[in-house]
Amino acid sequence: MTAFLQALASGLALGAIYGLIALGFNITYATTRTFNFGQGAFLVPGSLVGVSLVLLSVGKPHFGNLAPAEMTMTAYLLATLASTLIVGLIGIALYYCAIKPFVGVAGLNWVLSTIGFGIILQNTALAIWGPASIAVPSPLGSDVYRIAGAGIRPQEILVAVVAVAVMAGLDYVLRATKLGKALRAVAFNPQAASIVGINVEKIVIIAFVISSALAGLAGILIAPITTASVFIGMGVALKAFSAAILGGLTNPRGCMAGGFLLGLIEALVGLWRAEMREITIFLIIIVVLVVRPAGLFGTKTVEKI
Amino acid sequence: MTHSITRRLFGALVATTALAGLPALAQQGEIKIGYNADQSASGAAELGLSGRYGFEAAIEDINAKGGVLGRKLVAVIRDDAAAPPKSIQNMNELIDNEKVAAVVGPTNSGNALAWLHIPQQKKVPVVSHVATATEITGRYAKEAQNYIFRVSMVDREQLALLAAYAVKASKDKKVAIIADTTGYGQAATKDLQEILALHGITPAGIEKFGPKDTDMTSQLAKLKAAGADMIISGSLADATAQVLKSMEKMDYYPGLLSTWGSINSPLINIAGAKLAEKTIFAASTTADANPKAQALSKRLLARYPNMPAFVSAAQGYDAVMLIAAAITKAGGTDGDKVAAALEDVGPVEGIIKTYNKPFSKTNHEALGVADFHLAQWKDGAVVKLDNAIVKGLTAADLKR
Repeated sequence: MTAFLQALASGLALGAIYGLIALGFNITYATTRTFNFGQGAFLVPGSLVGVSLVLLSVGKPHFGNLAPAEMTMTAYLLATLASTLIVGLIGIALYYCAIKPFVGVAGLNWVLSTIGFGIILQNTALAIWGPASIAVPSPLGSDVYRIAGAGIRPQEILVAVVAVAVMAGLDYVLRATKLGKALRAVAFNPQAASIVGINVEKIVIIAFVISSALAGLAGILIAPITTASVFIGMGVALKAFSAAILGGLTNPRGCMAGGFLLGLIEALVGLWRAEMREITIFLIIIVVLVVRPAGLFGTKTVEKI
Repeated sequence: MTHSITRRLFGALVATTALAGLPALAQQGEIKIGYNADQSASGAAELGLSGRYGFEAAIEDINAKGGVLGRKLVAVIRDDAAAPPKSIQNMNELIDNEKVAAVVGPTNSGNALAWLHIPQQKKVPVVSHVATATEITGRYAKEAQNYIFRVSMVDREQLALLAAYAVKASKDKKVAIIADTTGYGQAATKDLQEILALHGITPAGIEKFGPKDTDMTSQLAKLKAAGADMIISGSLADATAQVLKSMEKMDYYPGLLSTWGSINSPLINIAGAKLAEKTIFAASTTADANPKAQALSKRLLARYPNMPAFVSAAQGYDAVMLIAAAITKAGGTDGDKVAAALEDVGPVEGIIKTYNKPFSKTNHEALGVADFHLAQWKDGAVVKLDNAIVKGLTAADLKR
């Protein structure tokens, strides 16, 4: 029983990470029907910039290890803000380099261009930080909270809380604000949106900035769990992408639910046979896509050609 | 036509003569020793970095005493960043351009396995001072001359020690294995299964996890349900740290044994100093093992206050000492003669021990399970483990 509860707790903690990253796919997809295939690489500057800023603030070189006492809540908050902002700004570069040239062009050029941009970003980070990973202490400490025998760490709870809050925020923005209306209008029909006075390019840039900023936020939030390194993004972003597809790319709740579902499957299948985790996950995804092509919570859309 | 061929032949002749003349010239000057190891990238990079400190210290000591055969030793350092292509490139460069007499390295077994054929074909002795894969010294064991030697842990041997301890320490002989899905982890799993079989034990459980996984609670829950009270981790420091963190989540602390990778600081940085003390691992030496080790550790720490792993510094130091003794014995740097001399060298004073003919035609391992001991982190330093179980281990327990 404890083992099952522990698997639930671990699965939800893992799922929150997937969900948080998956949300970054949602906003640009909802606006442009494109998204950043290189999202995983955006986690890298997210975590490393934040950690390096904390390191520099305590007078250490930008690459090294932090003592738990040096990771104060204030330092972590400021680092999180800085990471979110800086990676958000990288989103503007992403738009001009990898999206704009292909907007309105049929085909999948944007897929390769976003992957390429991600590779450029990752290798730039490799040149600055090198390939080794940095252990990052959590500002909330490393004590384990125990709920009915199942252990969970404060950082994992923080990730889950932030992920759900971001989801609620995105959901609200998309449904109830003028910006959200504009975002949806651009998605529905860019020409018509532009005729009624919406600056389409501005809206699309905003979508990519938000998406990239979310990757920056996710990067620094998961660093105390996964360590910070240039190679952190790839595996986890693939899972997040799967979560978004599984739950439905078109709405934030779907992405988040997909994340939690994936995390739970992973932990529960691990109780049975660890080597079956990936096989089960992708079998389920294939089945879901056959039965509900838009994902579990997605709304059906017609691909315009 | 004939004319141009003659000219080309002539050119080639001049070039060959010039090349042939080079070693003769170098004979008068310094002797270069190459160092090709990851010092920056992988979870084992610290072993390569500390290994370099020991390597350089040995060269300093030898030069202070007048060098080898009256010639100065020169270190040629290369970092392969744990990437096999880079490691191969370094190897070619060290041998073809730098004309090194011998190479010490690498850090990662995978890199060694990627380039072993190069020094073997070009007849340049290599002493592996970190990489532990059993196959490294074995691949060319059947050739007329095997150019690959080792002064380091050997996986099979260190796992034999861990298994012996686990079997002794386990109440109901419930020993389990947990390892990542990398080549290293899976090779360790296979070795451990075979060794435990020699003890007449079937593992209580064998679990796997992905190399980037951060939560192994599900796998550990299965081992707990199977009643395992001793678990052997066949992974590097970062993964073992995550295993410990998952154990903390579950408040399940069986004995956790791990390979010497745990000597690296990622274990402490990721798991935290207190949790890191909960694993016992194999080591060839510690900074407190003997007076020579204490002296070298003190000297290196004065220069590199952050030196992470003393053990590989000692191994790097001893590797150079053995190479130098072999060059002296061979009377020159000819690879063939140096390799043959290594097989008959000694006694050589090292840090870990005095090497009395450590190598032979059939044995290219300077260290074996008898030289290894168990260690543990205590208050931020690696110390030798000396409890009743360790004292009770006999040669007969070290089945391999």
